[in-house]
Amino acid sequence: MSIAVQTKKLTKYYRSGFWMRRTLALQDLDLSVQAGEVFGFVGPNGAGKTTTLKILAGLHEPSSGEAFLFSHPVSSLDAKRTLGFLPERPYFYVHLSPRELLHFYGQLYDMPKQLRNNRIEELLERMQMRWVGDVPMKKFSKGMLQRIGLCQTILHDPKLLILDEPMSGLDPLGRALVRDLILDEKEKGKTVFFSSHVLSDVESICSRVALLVKGSLRSVGTISSLLKEGTSYSECLIRLSGVFPLDCEFRKIGEEQYRFQILSDSLDHAVDTIRSKGGSIIEVRPIRQSLEELLVEEVQRDRVNPEKMGVWV
Amino acid sequence: MHSILFFAVGVVVLSLALKEVTIGDQAKVVRSIGQSGIDFFASVIAMFLGISTIWKELEKKTIYTLLSKPIPRWMFLMGKYAGLMLTVIVEVVLLAVLYSLLMMVQQSFPPPVFFVSVALLIVELMLITAWSILFSSYSAPTTATAFMIATFCIGHLADDIWLFSNSAETPIFRQMGSFLYWTLPNFEALSIREAAIHGREIPWERVGFALMYGLSYTMAVLVAATAIFKRRDIP
Repeated sequence: MSIAVQTKKLTKYYRSGFWMRRTLALQDLDLSVQAGEVFGFVGPNGAGKTTTLKILAGLHEPSSGEAFLFSHPVSSLDAKRTLGFLPERPYFYVHLSPRELLHFYGQLYDMPKQLRNNRIEELLERMQMRWVGDVPMKKFSKGMLQRIGLCQTILHDPKLLILDEPMSGLDPLGRALVRDLILDEKEKGKTVFFSSHVLSDVESICSRVALLVKGSLRSVGTISSLLKEGTSYSECLIRLSGVFPLDCEFRKIGEEQYRFQILSDSLDHAVDTIRSKGGSIIEVRPIRQSLEELLVEEVQRDRVNPEKMGVWV
Repeated sequence: MHSILFFAVGVVVLSLALKEVTIGDQAKVVRSIGQSGIDFFASVIAMFLGISTIWKELEKKTIYTLLSKPIPRWMFLMGKYAGLMLTVIVEVVLLAVLYSLLMMVQQSFPPPVFFVSVALLIVELMLITAWSILFSSYSAPTTATAFMIATFCIGHLADDIWLFSNSAETPIFRQMGSFLYWTLPNFEALSIREAAIHGREIPWERVGFALMYGLSYTMAVLVAATAIFKRRDIP
């Protein structure tokens, strides 16, 4: 399987202020996204997600390191032909109508007129925007602009979609539309690489996820493997007469029932101890850590061990 | 944009009114005001459009979806430049036609040297627009405007800088003046307005030199602008 997106030691500094001091935004990012994957890019604000996506879209120059789309350097036209990019909060020439705008963008990809016509009608229909196809976009709502943004992203049927916060600010219907579009593209074998703050959506549609905190990659893998990496607990309900024998917090329910949480690693020992005291297990339920909890954990760990990221260096 | 065009038209009309109150060669004063008005306002339009066009793309963020498509940055910049020049040329031609009509009514149809002067004005505007694009390709609009106004003023005072620096006693002033003269544009080298006002013939060598100078300088500035814009991070 080919690699759709690859970065090698990708680093980005920004210069700002009168003395042009450097701010580190991204450090030594090594990342590979396989073709056909739906890859989520998550992290708190200022983590470097948008910087990475802008480098991949050829809008920013990396300070050092390399980035490739299907083995083409990101700045090359070959790389851009494979790419459909949706920026966060897309802006367009608002005096144009969606049809005019999409025809203009289609021409940039050398799409023949007949193909453009068919594709534009198909996309407007899919995004439920046909009824405003000839209306100037001046008075479009954010959700409507986002739909037009998605149309221009997939207009030329690219192999790779890079979407920056595609669900931000959308209502549930809009989010469902984006989610369906991503899954449809995946069905067609396309690669989707997107950043999002809506972690429940990331969990539900991504094959793999990368966690970025303060410009450096903290974890990358499938959702299940990432969540396994974190601490996992099990919640138990037992029946026992007498004193609760374990060294953990518990809640007494009724006369002879206890509910408690325990590290999954200590579960076997706990079960043995309870049985040896004449107790019985009523229920054991693994408590699955959410992606959100993992993200919070990583950010908090970072607060305990602050590093020189996102500061003047 | 419209107000500037309106004002330019106003100056041409004003020159007609001045005819009534001017002592001396009234016809020459009217021609002078009319042609200077065209030059000045066309230059302001070129500077204003040149600076605002890239800035608007950045400010409105329409550039994101454009530059992520398979078009090289130099092509984007040159496309913008070509569009601007088309607009500026249309404006200049409209003003020149209006001026000619007014002259026909008031004096006589302008001599051929006026149209050569308009052609060289277009070359000057090509250079002004190229400088505006260069400044706006790396700096904020206020800084770009300040740089452009300074370049415009220096460019029109280039001959004076040369004269003053040559007559300076300190070698460093002479060298500085010489450096400024040879590096910054000399817009006066492109202007034959005086000859057009007086209806004097201009040797073709002078016109040829102005064309060569203006076009090659414009090319150099555009190459610099594309080189800078190619490496610019889109904020």
